[in-house]
Amino acid sequence: MTEPTADPDPAEQTTEPGPSVSVDLSPRDLPGAAKRRSLRNWCIVGALSLVLAGILYQALTSARVFFYNVDEAIARRDELGSQTFRIQGTVVDEPADIGGAMVFTIAFNDETAVVRHVGDEPSDLFEVGIPVVAEGHWEGEAFESRQLLVKHSESYVEDNPDRLVPDK
Amino acid sequence: MSPPTSTGPAATPTGSKLTRVLGSLSLAFLAIFLLFGLMLSPPEVSQREAVRLFYIHVPSAVIALYLAFGLTAVGSVVYLRKRSTFWDLLAWSAAEIGVLFCAFTLVTGMLWGRPTWGVFWKWDPRLTSTAISFVLFIGYLAVRQLDLTPEARSSRAAVLGIIGFLNTIVVRFSVSWWQSLHQGTTLNPVDTQMDGLHLLSFFLGFATLALVFSWLLVHRFRVAWLAHQAGEAGLDRALAERRAEATGRTV
Repeated sequence: MTEPTADPDPAEQTTEPGPSVSVDLSPRDLPGAAKRRSLRNWCIVGALSLVLAGILYQALTSARVFFYNVDEAIARRDELGSQTFRIQGTVVDEPADIGGAMVFTIAFNDETAVVRHVGDEPSDLFEVGIPVVAEGHWEGEAFESRQLLVKHSESYVEDNPDRLVPDK
Repeated sequence: MSPPTSTGPAATPTGSKLTRVLGSLSLAFLAIFLLFGLMLSPPEVSQREAVRLFYIHVPSAVIALYLAFGLTAVGSVVYLRKRSTFWDLLAWSAAEIGVLFCAFTLVTGMLWGRPTWGVFWKWDPRLTSTAISFVLFIGYLAVRQLDLTPEARSSRAAVLGIIGFLNTIVVRFSVSWWQSLHQGTTLNPVDTQMDGLHLLSFFLGFATLALVFSWLLVHRFRVAWLAHQAGEAGLDRALAERRAEATGRTV
């Protein structure tokens, strides 16, 4: 691909036959519509900067420590107190319905925590052996969860009816 | 790819033999991809039908973050070094289509997150860093519309394009640098954790979206090139009119 040719110097274009005339080539004032368009464009850049600042705030708060693993959350139990945070671990037993709460145990690095979840049902992927992220706070020895997120692994296995699968 | 050589933008189509080939290939691959992606590939053991979103979500992310924004970064670096209009316009065109693919990535990710994680969105490191890329490149496009001199506009946009691409590194490693809800790498060259038809459908999705990207890029670049030529011609005409006013002659 060829480069576009540079414009000739505009000053050279005045070398036409005739008397030499001084031409004022300074920019004219922008008409009203162009000024409004310019202001609008700067406003858009300003709004985008605010949006970016908001996302960066989320990055520095929520995303930086998205969750604590069970062992970390237990080690920090006193420090975390009753503040809201997320805890991650693998579901180790079938959930039980106790007093309207979904109660189950999660484990990570040989540490376990009991989760009492009251809130929306987790996704259909929820099952024993799958890692979950619960959002809530410590309530004594148990973790009171308001939101339960299910992690899925990097593995993708075809649901093939002819495939031999090991017993669970 | 060669720039159009017409005398005026109105008379010049942005199509060429290359774009017709790319367009035809895109359509053919799209048909094959839909056949495999929606019909021939089986559901996944745990995710069931939601696995089909993988075939478009991951390719669109790779094309947006690496190919499109990478091309913008390369174009920006070359522009800042050589003041090349070609690379400046290529960077701009790639950024515009990259934003489109990045939006597609975010939307398909949200649609995938709901049935798997249980939510459309969380401020997870991977999602947050991708959103930052998206906003940075929208900002890049906004800077290109500012009322500055063309050189100032291109230079500022180029700096933003380079910064935006550097964020791709953060996106790439976000799941290993921080604890993340988002899954890690599936397509590991040593040990790909994907079964046959899933993998084939993914590669078909990738090929289809890469062809669509290339097709859109060639068209967008040609439009940008024509607009640039028209702008140059318009400036020449305006200068001639000013001279005519000053000398009392008509152009």
